Amino acid sequence: MAIRLLVNLVRFAATFLVATVVVFLFMRLIPGDPAQVALGVNASPELLEQMRAQFGTDRPLAVQYLDWVGGLLRGDFGVSYVTRQDISPLVIDRLQVSLILVLTAMAVALLVAIPLGTIAAVRHRNFSGIAIGAVSQLGVAIPGFLAGILLVIVFSIQLGWFPAGGWTPPNQDFGEFLRRLFLPVLALASVQGAILTRYVRSAVLEIMSEDYLRTARAKGLSKTGALLKHGMRNAAIPVITVTGVQIAALIIGAVVIERVFVIPGLGSMLLDAVGNRDLLTVQSLVMVLVAITLLMNLLIDVIYTIVDPRMRKSS
Amino acid sequence: MRRKTPLILTAALAAATALVLAGCSAGSGGSTGAADTAERTSATIALTAAPVNLDFTTTAGAAIPQALMSNVYEGLVEINQEGEIVPLLAKEWSLSDDRKTYTFTLNEGVTFSNGEPFTAADVKFSFDRVKTDWTTTLKGKMDVVESVEVLSDTEVAVHLTQPSNAWLFNIATPIGAIFSPSGVDDLANAPVGTGPYEVASWTPNESLVLDTRDDYWGDAPGVEQVTLKYLADATATTNALRTGDVDAIVNLQAPELVSTFEEDPAFEVVSGTSSGEISLSLNNRIAPFDDVRVRQAVLHALDRQAIIDTAWNGYGSLTATYVTPLEPYYVDLNDAYEYNPEKAKELLKEAGAENLDITFKVPTRPYAQAVSEIVVSQLAAVGINATIESSEFPAVWLEDVFTNHNYQMTTVLAVEARDLLTVFNNPDYYIGYDNSKIAPIAAEADAADEAGYIEGMQQVQKQIVDDAASGVLFLFPNIVITTAGLEGVPENAIVEALNLTDLSWK
Amino acid sequence: MDTTQNPVPSSQAPRTSAIAAPRTPRRRIGRRRLSPTLIAGLVLVGIVAITALLSFVWTPYDPVQANPADRLQGPSLAHLFGTDKYGRDLFSGMLVGARITLFVGLISVGIALLVGTPLGIIAGIRGGWIEEVIMRTSDIALAFPALLLAIMFGAVFGPSTVSAMIAIGISTIPGFARVARSGTLQVMSTEYVLAARAASQSRFRIAVRHVLPNIIGIVVVQCSVAFALAVLAEAALSFLGLGTPPPTPSWGRMLQESQQFLGTHPSLAIFPGVAIAIAVMGFNLLGDGLRDRFDPKLNGGRS
Repeated sequence: MAIRLLVNLVRFAATFLVATVVVFLFMRLIPGDPAQVALGVNASPELLEQMRAQFGTDRPLAVQYLDWVGGLLRGDFGVSYVTRQDISPLVIDRLQVSLILVLTAMAVALLVAIPLGTIAAVRHRNFSGIAIGAVSQLGVAIPGFLAGILLVIVFSIQLGWFPAGGWTPPNQDFGEFLRRLFLPVLALASVQGAILTRYVRSAVLEIMSEDYLRTARAKGLSKTGALLKHGMRNAAIPVITVTGVQIAALIIGAVVIERVFVIPGLGSMLLDAVGNRDLLTVQSLVMVLVAITLLMNLLIDVIYTIVDPRMRKSS
Repeated sequence: MRRKTPLILTAALAAATALVLAGCSAGSGGSTGAADTAERTSATIALTAAPVNLDFTTTAGAAIPQALMSNVYEGLVEINQEGEIVPLLAKEWSLSDDRKTYTFTLNEGVTFSNGEPFTAADVKFSFDRVKTDWTTTLKGKMDVVESVEVLSDTEVAVHLTQPSNAWLFNIATPIGAIFSPSGVDDLANAPVGTGPYEVASWTPNESLVLDTRDDYWGDAPGVEQVTLKYLADATATTNALRTGDVDAIVNLQAPELVSTFEEDPAFEVVSGTSSGEISLSLNNRIAPFDDVRVRQAVLHALDRQAIIDTAWNGYGSLTATYVTPLEPYYVDLNDAYEYNPEKAKELLKEAGAENLDITFKVPTRPYAQAVSEIVVSQLAAVGINATIESSEFPAVWLEDVFTNHNYQMTTVLAVEARDLLTVFNNPDYYIGYDNSKIAPIAAEADAADEAGYIEGMQQVQKQIVDDAASGVLFLFPNIVITTAGLEGVPENAIVEALNLTDLSWK
Repeated sequence: MDTTQNPVPSSQAPRTSAIAAPRTPRRRIGRRRLSPTLIAGLVLVGIVAITALLSFVWTPYDPVQANPADRLQGPSLAHLFGTDKYGRDLFSGMLVGARITLFVGLISVGIALLVGTPLGIIAGIRGGWIEEVIMRTSDIALAFPALLLAIMFGAVFGPSTVSAMIAIGISTIPGFARVARSGTLQVMSTEYVLAARAASQSRFRIAVRHVLPNIIGIVVVQCSVAFALAVLAEAALSFLGLGTPPPTPSWGRMLQESQQFLGTHPSLAIFPGVAIAIAVMGFNLLGDGLRDRFDPKLNGGRS
């Protein structure tokens, strides 16, 4: 088990390093000279040179790369030459917003999906099971931004129950924070809930056909009883995987909902930074997003090792 | 577990209800009550383009001066809502007989937000600094200044190398902002000016909070705190106004959303004018637009009123070239190229350019996307097949079209005030117009007296229109929507500055 | 969110994607009746496909030609779905939009299929350091979700259908590689493959004769699911202005353009919204139906 963990850690580090190189080189491909964007139209060549020197974009690539990675490892993303502010505190601010949004939404989605998915599996030949299946199919198929826009029209424009958007930090005004969080979380959670319901359903269906469950039922346990007693642990594994993968992907994926609800998350920060050709910020944000995904994978693996008895033995 | 069924039904019903409700007209919006607005001391205004930092001396773009000029920074003079030059930090000024020396008398008792007193030395410092420290291309507008002479604490003389009518106007724009030598250390984050507001907080791409100063030399603004909120999405912006998160929207980029506000007494809608023209720029240097007949054909092919009606919901007005009716030398040339597809086809035939295939680089901005589809459709009717190519704005468009002139046709919102000569009196500008005819007229006009200036500039416009140098689709409207009770939001956007000093709650 | 609606199973794919252990060299298809899920999927996908094909031969109006006099009309006999703000016939645009939807799906899934499947099979057959390299590279690709890639590609190559398709395609590769690898591993451990290896058949021969026929089912399922994902991703990218540029009709962009008219002309949003939902549901149902078919274990516990 310890060896497995160690292998995973090494893999994580190696993948992360390779990703830094990929991201760094990719950023150099982006057309649009940052100096030109900063100076605007008709800048003279001398001014452009001067600006590039100030930005450090005239240095050799290897130097720029090492400088950047060194900073990354210290958690210092440097000073953006576009906004002329430290990047790290801004990223941390935005990351908090994204994490609150995504984790709340996933928690709500799980709370809905686990019971619904289980019912859908256990009663998969009854009306309720089929209905849940159908509703979840529909939930998965509706573009998230459409769900968001519809929620705004109904709950803020028509009914006036919730603000149409915006963000209030929880430590500033907790009530307002919750009010503003409600609709975006609902929009995210309804789609994610539908996805997770589908996964829970198929995971439960799968274990229901396992031999040990049939044995348990043969011994006189009810369907539900057998499931709760023997099945849940095994059904949890694919659900954990999907939840982890979704959380990682949602940190950036929520950008669409951030746009609809005017939420200052990481995704919209990335879009803005790309638009401003704030390459250093873009680079740092992409690495933060990549690191989150890799960390999530690592975490899933660790949870696996703990949850799955077979895994513990095999290592 | 059977009792779970109703839950699912309820969920399905709720979803269906949501869809139906969403389908109904969104007119009955619940906004904040207008009852106690008179007691409010703050206002929030929604804008579209966010400044990337707060230093317009080294960063291009209209968003920074929009927020800071007239509010944080002041110049010697400013432009009022009628487009006239009026006193600000300068009480009065005089022009020497050779029209080469301006002498300004300054207001007394003016201080910067860092407490430093404002004197003639600060004027010299600021004007000289344009040449030494500014990096944006605006700095060229100060080239005509030979020297700045401090006559006394309240008197300053500016000597020009040659007479210039344009210069006095130019110092009402950001180029004339007055800085304090002790306040230029961190312009990007902490601007210091003589204006009625100072920057209280600044979050990039989100908001800028301005607080009034207690020691402002002039009349205090009607509200104590103004928050400028930057919202990229037009629908989100109008939602924010409806739900009371913002009190006004300035220069709304989505004219389709206006109608529901017009019918609602809780809001006031004003469609003012701006200095922005939506251009249809043709690359004069390369085929097929190096042929004047092809350019004229394009202008005849366009039904510009139909473009305004479909692309911008009827908001906006016609102008023939880069001059707006609020500029002193405006002349109406709108009838020069009437909508006439047959004539367009004839011209194309004459030029041997039938069944033309061209590419149309369209910046990724709402106005550009909106006009592009109707323009393509109108051109197709005369046998010009334009293929749209999206060009990310500003980064890619600036490099590709503006700097490298790698385009045949493009469209852009040219917001700079009084930009006729910037665009056309420079053959290296991206349009590539041959300025040999207008250059001498323009030079003479700038050095002439006022009447000569106006006459000369009108001649320039006529020549440009004759040459069909480039198209202007329409004059961009400045759509302002305010919550009833908030007054003093400027209607017109004539210069970059969004002057917030007259805001008040009724 | 949108691009993640059908998540790629992570490194533990064998347990999440239900794969039948191939007990016989080739599963016989067509013995059992079609399930309702499969039928529903086939019908919905069929509607989209027929719509797309129809648009090549017939549309009521030119979907691109603006007609300002007829702008913003509600549904009528002349214009089944009404007209948009340029006076273009929405129904005609929707027909042509089906093409773009299928095109984006086909190309992006094609990229993932043609790159991911062989890599997965190679990793499964060769094992060792080759497998390690392939799967670690796949890990890196997995760390770049479609939306992130599309934002980056949009910045480098400009927003276009091609950028969007490549971004969606690349981000889908790891899913195919993992499914193909885990399928291959299972096939490789079966007795008949062990026998074939004992008879010193070449690896290529084993791959073609034994592995491919047995994993084709799960790969088809993966295609269907990835297709649904691609349709949603295209819509999300169009919403952010990174998808298909105008004037080419695209359901995603129609939906984005309709946003301003939701209060006044909701039909402009409803039709493309429903169309997207039909396509996504169609491919998801098709995937589900095929999966049930290829894997009897999930089919209600009866095999």
